[in-house]
Amino acid sequence: MPEGTLCNKNPITTKEQLDALLADKTGKIYYEEMKHLEVDTEKLAETLQATCKSRIRTWLEICAHCGLCADSCFFYLANQKDPTQVPAYKIQSTLGEIVRKNGQVDNAHMRYCMDVAWGKCTCCNRCGTFCPYGIDMGVMFSYLRGLCFSQGFVPWELKIGSGMHRIFRAQMDVTPEDFVETCEWMCEEQQEEWPGLEIPVDKVGADILYTCNAREPKHYPEDIAEAAILFHIAGEDWTVPSEGWDQTSLTMFAGDWEGCRLQVEGIYRAIEKLKPKRVLGTECGHAHRATVIEGPYWLGREDGRPPVPYLHYTEWVAEALRTGKLKIDPAKRIKEPVTLQDSCNYIRNYGLKEVTREIMSYIVEPGYFVEMEPCKEYNFCCGGGGGLNGIGIYRQWRNIGFKVKRDQIKATGAKLVIAPCHNCWDAIRDMEEIYELGIRWSFLKPLLLKMVIVPEHLKPKEEAEEEE
Amino acid sequence: MAIVEHMGKKFEVDEDGFLANLDDWGPEWVDYVKTQEGITELTEDHWKVINMLQDYFKKNGIAPMVRILSKVTGFKLKYIYELFPSGPGKGACKMAGLPKPTGCV
Repeated sequence: MPEGTLCNKNPITTKEQLDALLADKTGKIYYEEMKHLEVDTEKLAETLQATCKSRIRTWLEICAHCGLCADSCFFYLANQKDPTQVPAYKIQSTLGEIVRKNGQVDNAHMRYCMDVAWGKCTCCNRCGTFCPYGIDMGVMFSYLRGLCFSQGFVPWELKIGSGMHRIFRAQMDVTPEDFVETCEWMCEEQQEEWPGLEIPVDKVGADILYTCNAREPKHYPEDIAEAAILFHIAGEDWTVPSEGWDQTSLTMFAGDWEGCRLQVEGIYRAIEKLKPKRVLGTECGHAHRATVIEGPYWLGREDGRPPVPYLHYTEWVAEALRTGKLKIDPAKRIKEPVTLQDSCNYIRNYGLKEVTREIMSYIVEPGYFVEMEPCKEYNFCCGGGGGLNGIGIYRQWRNIGFKVKRDQIKATGAKLVIAPCHNCWDAIRDMEEIYELGIRWSFLKPLLLKMVIVPEHLKPKEEAEEEE
Repeated sequence: MAIVEHMGKKFEVDEDGFLANLDDWGPEWVDYVKTQEGITELTEDHWKVINMLQDYFKKNGIAPMVRILSKVTGFKLKYIYELFPSGPGKGACKMAGLPKPTGCV
């Protein structure tokens, strides 16, 4: 069986394997090897037997090919209504074919599946909300990704991402020591402006255990500092875990089912060890889906819930504003047309649409908030979800898909887009780079910090004296 | 892969406009990214960041976390952003000729 040195059916489990894959920049050799990777049809049939249960089989069978899902898909709309972009077609011609043939498919088919599963679907689940039978294509595409991964057909960057999780229990090469050091560093750098600012590590029994996205310590540590400052102002009793701190799951995007379980297991272990009252995740969409929505099932938890209540960041912000833990200076509210990007993973798939609107009512001057059309659970994906932002080979497809979100944003007339999700934030940033809309984009944290009222006792001494 | 031309030199770039081969890196590339990033004048401190990123990448095959960049250069995070407004993981890596960092960046 021709297994490639870099492209093969084995997940990355060692640093050496990871380094070799990283050294193959943009996956040149990796994708070349993929062309010759043999499909283990026997194993694929076994996997189907063990994992493709009645729900997915029924969905594939009852699809009436009515086409009502077509217009729901931003890829279909952005590609001049190309019939090969109809969600039903996409799933039937990929997973449907694998199931009908009981795994007897060839290399070309698996590569086609990979292209569709990662390059033509972001698992945003919008189509599922329009299907008269309620067929959930997002779930099926995630499943297809799992089959592809098990056979070695996965985009290069996500093979790396899955490997990072398996080695570092984080989607990037950040160790627990690196994470803790970054937290300490961020506190040090803020002392002048925020005397006494702390990021408590591994505190047992705190009210809140905070988990983040590995990109924060690796590339954007200001995000951790901002979270700490807001907790500081709100007077929260909080902590971060030194292990199990990365809430994200590129393993989920990659379809690495075992890796998914390992990642969430680490986070739940931290929860069980540190016994917080609640857990709070950062402004990330897929991390919430992986750890709060799907994670409990990956770990076989009967109640389908994490060990303790696990909030999305927007839930905490809304609560802090509602209870007055964070007070907004009305003079500093946003006074320009502003719109909000609804993250598929916690709006459509978790129902937090009113929570984010509640936040808008506090931070935007009445009359300035403009909804996208459509919005809330019917909002379109940012265009870069499901891992697509990070996959080089599908970059042109993504950029075409961006047109739907671009036009939605344009139509609002807003020049500021609030995007409380890393993936959406990145997509809108890249969209601006490509289409030059003249817009700005922001997470909630920096916006809140510009308008929150700082209690006197938390201000640096000189500043407090000056004001007196 | 796409080719960009600047100051009479051709560069192979990836889908996100990052340099495909570090060996092609040179002053012309730096000048090309400088314009894109909206940096008016390159200072000694820009070069300190660029050199550090390259040294680290050559040894480790990956971009460093910002903490390490700050430790080695002695620059505070705020200052690194002043030098490279689009951030250390994006503008600085691009200018230094490193590949686009993988993952959610």
